[in-house]
Amino acid sequence: MALSRVFVANRGEIAVRIVRACRSLGLESVVGVSDADREGLAAELADRAVVLGPAPARESYLNANLVVHAAKATACDALHPGYGFLSESSALAGLCEREEIVFVGPRAETIERLGDKLTARAIAAEADVPIVPGSGEIRAAAEARTFAARVGYPVLMKASAGGGGRGMFVARTDADIDDGFERASAEAEAAFGDGALFVERFVEDARHVEVQIMGDGAGAVVHFGERDCSVQRRFQKVVEEAPAAALSAEARAQIHDAACRLARHLDYQSAGTVEFLYDVARGEAYFIEANVRIQVEHPVTEEVTGIDLIEEQLRIAGGGGLSVAQGDIALAGHAIECRINAEAPERDFAPSPGLIDAWRAPEGQGIRIDSHCRAGAFVSPFYDSMIAKLIVRAGDRTQAVERMSGALDAFRIGGIDTNLAFQARLVRHPDFAANSLNTRWLEDVFMPSLMH
Amino acid sequence: MTIDRKEVEALIRLFERSDWHELRLETDGLKLVLSKDADAAALGSEAEAAAASAEKAPLETTRAQDDVAPVDGLVPITAPNLGTFYRAPKPGVAPYVEVGQQVGEATEVCLIEVMKLFTPVRAGINGRIAKACVEDGEMVEFGAPLFLVEPEAEAAEKA
Repeated sequence: MALSRVFVANRGEIAVRIVRACRSLGLESVVGVSDADREGLAAELADRAVVLGPAPARESYLNANLVVHAAKATACDALHPGYGFLSESSALAGLCEREEIVFVGPRAETIERLGDKLTARAIAAEADVPIVPGSGEIRAAAEARTFAARVGYPVLMKASAGGGGRGMFVARTDADIDDGFERASAEAEAAFGDGALFVERFVEDARHVEVQIMGDGAGAVVHFGERDCSVQRRFQKVVEEAPAAALSAEARAQIHDAACRLARHLDYQSAGTVEFLYDVARGEAYFIEANVRIQVEHPVTEEVTGIDLIEEQLRIAGGGGLSVAQGDIALAGHAIECRINAEAPERDFAPSPGLIDAWRAPEGQGIRIDSHCRAGAFVSPFYDSMIAKLIVRAGDRTQAVERMSGALDAFRIGGIDTNLAFQARLVRHPDFAANSLNTRWLEDVFMPSLMH
Repeated sequence: MTIDRKEVEALIRLFERSDWHELRLETDGLKLVLSKDADAAALGSEAEAAAASAEKAPLETTRAQDDVAPVDGLVPITAPNLGTFYRAPKPGVAPYVEVGQQVGEATEVCLIEVMKLFTPVRAGINGRIAKACVEDGEMVEFGAPLFLVEPEAEAAEKA
């Protein structure tokens, strides 16, 4: 069925991004906002904004019934969940299916199966995708110690039911497991309603690489190359780039194929990301998890492929299928994204909500900003602190790093604390320029270097 | 919320002293745009043009809030979340409240439905229902006035 009106069930920059994609496809958009976001840019740009509930996300953005009711009451025929909030809720996708609203994402069943980390690992194994040696579900520290003894320390403990770093810790000894198990399990229980953990071999020198895939739900699957998101703090991505320049051509081709195999195995529908851990010493990539949504870092892929991924999602949702075949997707140049947050790195990254009283964004060739903020915007304490994504594209990585450095310097945000200066120092670090880093670089090397 | 002349003057003084560039305020029956821009006139017309173009959109942009004329001294009972407004517990029976009726804080005045889940809304104030703002079966947004209530003290004064 062709779509005509899309409900945007999200806020911030991604809501603005979806509204713009709707407009360029000639679709109307209705955004459901919380009371705190009435005056936001998404509400202003959409054809209509409806106020779902008060500011706390639980009473607005996280209430699936409320969101679907609003979509129906405003006669929307599709719903885009963005990322975060309800984007990985099979309950929301299921509710949309029952109410005959097209969910812009995978089928509820796919979301449910990939959402459980252990099931996802089993599916990856079925699709002949290499996985990190790991355990099954573990509910007691003693079981974790037994497994660790078998594969050898260090090991990584993870929550079975969800991601985002919650319930996750590295153990190097039996004592580490004993110390961390209860707390991590409680954290997983609080975040996902399930305290089960599992253990994986921890790769010391690893890069986080991920493949952007897209499927039409009827067997056709393409990939849009890969991204490198190794610069992380507490398992949260800070800088992302495309392509992953550190990969050998062989490793690159392997993860592309593996990601497509996994997607085909599931008759995957809409956009997804297959994440891999790249073991630098062994030169091998292992499946970590699959994300069943558009991701924060999708713009770097758009910049190197020239394809609008949100438009592609909407086209698939409307039954129009993929607009591109694998052979049409060519990668050119290098793109980098820095997440700009309202936070104070010097105060342990404390969030810094408040009124933005000055906003001057960098402009120029190869510079893109995805943001919902501007001078006069209020950064609410209720939500995530990301206020902008600064994306640059250039002919090669060296030029892209240089362009990012200049763009970060030119970006002026007043009234609140931001991580602009932190990001500028990061991209100017010799290791970053040399692309000589791994997932622990930011915390183990870069942050200590700031102390001197 | 109603704003009187004195309050508007106070707002303008505050604005003048602030380092704000622009201030826009919209409330029932009032739209205030203050700007330190030289071409502030353009601001107003731009906003009006935007409003006009929104009216042309096929989507209904009217909100329940817009329909309520400000009346001095009346207090709104507002929607606790978005949902469908129902005046009666079920079809074919009398509404929870009629205009003119006395209500107490705990009096149930209507239902808000979200995906077949019906939640009663209480008045939260003692007084007399002066106006019903929403038609039965309409979608209301969070914060939309559902009824206007003449509070107890004022009702007593007039009597």
